[in-house]
Amino acid sequence: MLQFSRFVIMRFIMAVVTLLMVSFIVFSLMELVPANCAERYMAFKNTQGEQITIADIRAEEIRMGLDKPYVTRWVNWVSDVFVRGDFGTSCILRVRVNDLLGTKFWISLGICLASLLLAYIIAIPVGIYSATTNKPGLNNILRFVSYLGLAMPNFLLALMIMLASTILFGDSLTGLFSKEYRDAAWSYDRFMNFLSHAWLPVFILGWSATAFALQTVRALMSDEYNKLYVTAARARGLSGRQLLWRYPARHALGPIINSLGFDLNRIFNELPIIALILTLTEAGALLLESLARSNDQQLAGAIIFMLTASIIGLNFLTDIMLALLDPRVRRGIMGGA
Amino acid sequence: MTDTPSTIETAAADSEAERKSKEAYFTAGQYALIWARFKKNRSAVVAGVILIVMILMGLSAPFLSPYDPNIAGRDATYQNGAPQIPKFWDENGFSFRPFLYKLERTRSAATNFRWVTQVNRDERRYLELFVKGWEFYIINIDLDLPGDTFDLRLKTWRVDTHLFGMDQGMIHLFGTEAAGKDIFARTMFAIWTSLAVGTIGVGIAFVLALIIGGVSGYAGGWTDSILQMITDAVRTVPAIPLFMALAAMVPDEWSAETRFFFISIILGLIGWPTLARRVRTHLLTERSQEYVLAAKLCSATPGHIIRRHLLPSFSSYIIVDLVISFPYMVLSETALSFIGLGLKDPVNSLGVLLQNVTKVDVLLNYQWYFIPAGFFMALVLAFVFVGDGLRDAADPYSGH
Repeated sequence: MLQFSRFVIMRFIMAVVTLLMVSFIVFSLMELVPANCAERYMAFKNTQGEQITIADIRAEEIRMGLDKPYVTRWVNWVSDVFVRGDFGTSCILRVRVNDLLGTKFWISLGICLASLLLAYIIAIPVGIYSATTNKPGLNNILRFVSYLGLAMPNFLLALMIMLASTILFGDSLTGLFSKEYRDAAWSYDRFMNFLSHAWLPVFILGWSATAFALQTVRALMSDEYNKLYVTAARARGLSGRQLLWRYPARHALGPIINSLGFDLNRIFNELPIIALILTLTEAGALLLESLARSNDQQLAGAIIFMLTASIIGLNFLTDIMLALLDPRVRRGIMGGA
Repeated sequence: MTDTPSTIETAAADSEAERKSKEAYFTAGQYALIWARFKKNRSAVVAGVILIVMILMGLSAPFLSPYDPNIAGRDATYQNGAPQIPKFWDENGFSFRPFLYKLERTRSAATNFRWVTQVNRDERRYLELFVKGWEFYIINIDLDLPGDTFDLRLKTWRVDTHLFGMDQGMIHLFGTEAAGKDIFARTMFAIWTSLAVGTIGVGIAFVLALIIGGVSGYAGGWTDSILQMITDAVRTVPAIPLFMALAAMVPDEWSAETRFFFISIILGLIGWPTLARRVRTHLLTERSQEYVLAAKLCSATPGHIIRRHLLPSFSSYIIVDLVISFPYMVLSETALSFIGLGLKDPVNSLGVLLQNVTKVDVLLNYQWYFIPAGFFMALVLAFVFVGDGLRDAADPYSGH
């Protein structure tokens, strides 16, 4: 038990270190975006009819702490984020980033996790079946579908669904809420309304994730299925589902759990694009808005950081899950006990 | 075998041929073996043929497209026009030369005084091969990077022949878009753009991966741990948001070509971690082999060992990895351009071509905007199939 908690703590420290490194990358990126906050703020004041001089901008920079060295500012930002969960203020919108993001981030995360779940609910049984069956026709169809999932950009799928639904139902299925619930407080009705809209992004994001997962599961299973221990188990009289679940499926599960973090990463990649097409109002759309149109460093930085943090969090969880599930890994931690 | 007197001789000849082929197999080089395995994979070979055709199409885009894909080649009389398929016959009889009808723009009370394009079925216009059209240059390099020293202009070998065209009027196989630009021409150029973006991106990612993965795998120990942590950190950040952040830095005033170049570099700068990891893994297993020790004992420098001994030992894997990572570069570019942070209008790329299709107007009325998408799916699929076929072929332990 002691060793296990030490393992968890080690992993946690590693996750935090990775997160710190990512925060540095994100912070540096945001620094590279042209113009700083003080200049923006003063430019805004200028549009309000105030006379602005260079001295004013410098004074504002000192007030905002922008004159401090790069590393100091990074440390300030990071400690605010880590200690208080505070991402500061967006200088374009002059609103606290936390208020802007609010539930929107959690909606995005929920949608992404749901599509990840969907992907594996489909991929695990189908992948196992396709790896163990010897019907070439079915296998070729599955292979083609999963290749198509890889090759067809998600936005094309989204566009095609929109095209079909516009022609068939006269409704383009966009948005996350109906009009009357858009600004309402969370309630049971609003939640149901959200669900009735969210299935489309979940499906579209899950599509290519499923294709990837299907390939992974199939490859892992067909690797394991040809190994000698499976033949040995069969020789002992095991067959069918019992054989599959007792031996090769368990072996194949490890790498799948391991790769969950990168699957989530891939899904996040599609998020802003889907947000654009389906006119969603969540974190992906905010990211797009902040980068493509307004150059809002603080907001964009916060979103990229949060996305990465949730991937690192998931990686941390899968590491621990793997240690609990896989006796080989467990033994590695416990030191041969 | 047949019952002819020469049965024995044939058998002898057969075994001779068999022996030869066996010997050829046993003494074949690595690439010959990969090629032999690759040939057996029918879907990969088909995909390979499609891929080569697509690459040729991309390379000869100016020759294939009857009109300039940019605003200079627009058809002012046929905007948002449907695809025109040449016909061989109609109610007025058969023609050996494929033809289209004359288009007339009219405006009257019947059309609510708006300009409307009408087809005049009585006047035919014929398709011709090897027509003279807009001029292009076979070698046309025009790099306008920030800083004057990097500018490179090279323009020679003027050509104005195109594969096909019309005797009068214009032909738009894939229709036209809002400004009247020919979608067929744009698609051909877009294939070229995607290939170029992919090549530059993969090239940069490859060099970075070789350096970082090479150092990390060869040095091992602390260097390896630190480099791996950095690689993992870069890998955890979702790529598209990272692309977006980098692309947002491109100033608006940069020319389309500069932008194109910069976006390709960004793609390369973010694409390296996966490749670097593979290079490292290969190196880690190879560096403890005896031949490396032998080279070390002969006082070879680390650089020499990496270049002359280690890299060639898995160059086939690297080539496969490059082919596999190519379509992801193309897809990333498409996604980036689609959301408006990648390439911009005068440059033709799939993302740019598809930017407008989200409009309800286009969805309902101008579905031919989607035609380029088919080409790109074919391109990406071809790459994926060829990459997979190569991977299977290069792996001596794969079952087939």
